[in-house]
Amino acid sequence: MRAGLLGLVIGAAAQLAALVGAPASAAVNVVATTTDLAALVSEVGGNLVTVEAIVPAGVDPEAFEPRPGDLGKLRRADLLVRVGLGYDYWLDTLVRQVGDQRLMRGREANLDASAGIPLLEIRGQSVTSEGGHAHGVANPHYWLDPDNAIIITASIAEALARIAPAQRVQLLANRAEFLIRLESARARWTKTLAPYSGTKLIAYHNSWPYFARRFRLDIIAFIEPKAGVAPSPAHLAQVIAAGSKANVRAIVHEPYEPDDGARLVARKLSVPVVRLAISVGSIAGTNDYLALFDYNVAILAKALGTRSP
Amino acid sequence: MSAMSDAVALLALPFAASVVFVLMHAYLGVHVLRRRIVFADLALAQLSALGATVAFANGYPATSAAGFGYALLFTAMGAALLTLTRTLARYISQEAFVGIMYVVATAATILAVDRAPQGAEHVKKILIGSILTVEPADVAKFAALYAVIGLLHWLARRPLLALSAEGAATGRSGATVWILDLAFFLSFAIVVTSSVTTAGVLLVFSLLIVPAVVGSIFSDRLPIVLAIAWGAGIAACAAGLAGSYALDLPTGAAMVMAQAGALLLAGVAKLLLFVGVEQRLHNLRIAIKTLAAAVLIALLASSAWLMIAPTGDQPILALVESATGIGPTRLLGVGERDAYESAARDAVRFQGEVDRLNALEKAARYQGTPLSDDDVRRIASYQKTFNEMTRGERFVQETLRGKAQARARWIIGLPAMLVAFAGLLWLTRRLWNGYLAGRR
Repeated sequence: MRAGLLGLVIGAAAQLAALVGAPASAAVNVVATTTDLAALVSEVGGNLVTVEAIVPAGVDPEAFEPRPGDLGKLRRADLLVRVGLGYDYWLDTLVRQVGDQRLMRGREANLDASAGIPLLEIRGQSVTSEGGHAHGVANPHYWLDPDNAIIITASIAEALARIAPAQRVQLLANRAEFLIRLESARARWTKTLAPYSGTKLIAYHNSWPYFARRFRLDIIAFIEPKAGVAPSPAHLAQVIAAGSKANVRAIVHEPYEPDDGARLVARKLSVPVVRLAISVGSIAGTNDYLALFDYNVAILAKALGTRSP
Repeated sequence: MSAMSDAVALLALPFAASVVFVLMHAYLGVHVLRRRIVFADLALAQLSALGATVAFANGYPATSAAGFGYALLFTAMGAALLTLTRTLARYISQEAFVGIMYVVATAATILAVDRAPQGAEHVKKILIGSILTVEPADVAKFAALYAVIGLLHWLARRPLLALSAEGAATGRSGATVWILDLAFFLSFAIVVTSSVTTAGVLLVFSLLIVPAVVGSIFSDRLPIVLAIAWGAGIAACAAGLAGSYALDLPTGAAMVMAQAGALLLAGVAKLLLFVGVEQRLHNLRIAIKTLAAAVLIALLASSAWLMIAPTGDQPILALVESATGIGPTRLLGVGERDAYESAARDAVRFQGEVDRLNALEKAARYQGTPLSDDDVRRIASYQKTFNEMTRGERFVQETLRGKAQARARWIIGLPAMLVAFAGLLWLTRRLWNGYLAGRR
């Protein structure tokens, strides 16, 4: 709740700053579906853009129900940035309701940020609801690999430069500056988590494959394999048995999921539950893209460091 | 650890909790049944859920003291309202108020969490509960709380039971009735508030009503009703927990279904076992006839559907196919059958390739040399290709299945329909005989 309010205040402040910093008419109006993409847009756009996220921080985008106000956001949008891969599937319906041709899928003002990403866990070509989640194409949590931010910001810079060609140089400079900060932070994160390479973890949902790949972690099981369906006792028993056999060191848990399942498994295995921020602003202190990883890396390293390996 | 001891270790605590719940809730359920306010408890449970939700939206966990306080406040307000409506019931049915209360409480719950993160998850959790993950301290808390409330009810049992049995009060002053009513609803509110956050609205409602109904089927003497209700309720909870483990089902929902199963069994037992021999045979005959009629009607509808839309979904035909192991290939030519079977094999093989690549990529995340982004992209593109090929094979299967069903349209559909029709005519022959005799 507090994180949400803080996010709101910061978002408002950012908009105000953008309004003050540049003539209102010149700023490119960007709408991103998630706070993560919004954060990356503001890194690239700086004060040349105003950016709004549709899904509030800390809300599960796959369980999100759009509001009438979101239509207003879309009407004002010069550029739409989405996660794609069926993650923000509800956007298509919204865009159809607005009826603006530019914002339709595949058109110039609709940027699918998953383009060019090395995707993990490919399932099918079509966007179907498999196992409750709309993980129809691939696992959609690709922003949780910091290296993917290089690709995402490239797409964003390209799309913004198409809309505001006069600002191309400034946009590319902003991105380059962000990448320098990202690179040094990434070295720091890798170093912090290096001692825990190969560590076995259990996750609540399958949200962390990209994070696990980049930081060399092994997530051996999921507590709730089907989103929204409470785990059965047989499944929990399996997870607990697998966890104690593999010497699991912690349970990774998304902030917006109920934590009693995670607490039960943690109690049986006597390991900590680590609440990791799945998106920017979902936990206090994760208010931009780099802060998201700063937080997650620090909290995970702390939890893994408390017990001798 | 063996699977059995795994199960026991995991289910012992939820079972203890459900025993505690059944003992308290079934007793209150008897009152609720006698007062004829079944939906009132659903409304109160939902109000309690609303209170827990408001607490949650304000940042308190549902199981905290503050969460309990909010929930109790809302439920107590509901209890006061219910007491009030009992006096209004002379003009407008109390059921109407109860219905309004339920709908408003549910809508308000959704509005209350609208802005809170985890809102949707919370609403679902409050509906189906989380009895599987109940903690030892919680069970002790419930037991202590219910012991106190049970004791109070025991002390005041005579006037409370009399009031429940009478409905509108006779021979008591208005104020006494009012106070007793309020006391009943308040104790009810405390019980429901405590259990909803753990067991969920659905399970709480079924624990209140179903065991009490099962008890009331067999007797109207309170000790017997209670004994049967407790026994049946606890047995159903055990069955629900075991079933949820064995069949890999969400626990809360499975337990609700087990309660319904207990009610069904009790009904059947009452009609077939707890009656005289004459009556028993008569009931058995009716039961068999009803069952046969249901099967024949399903067969009639299914065969008609097969003839109307042979390539559409055929749920009953699919059921028969999977039960007998006779696939749609029976009606295909030799070449078609080969194509169908090789498509099935290839679909499995391609899916296996996708899974193999996933396992390979997953292993490389944490051991050996990491895969480069380009390696990952290459794997993804292979997987997409395999997925497309799998879909192609599935399409071949679907087409051939449609072809087989189109042939089954007359070969199977028409005879099945005639059999069903003849069977139904035979079952209802007395009706027809009577009708024809009347015409003559």
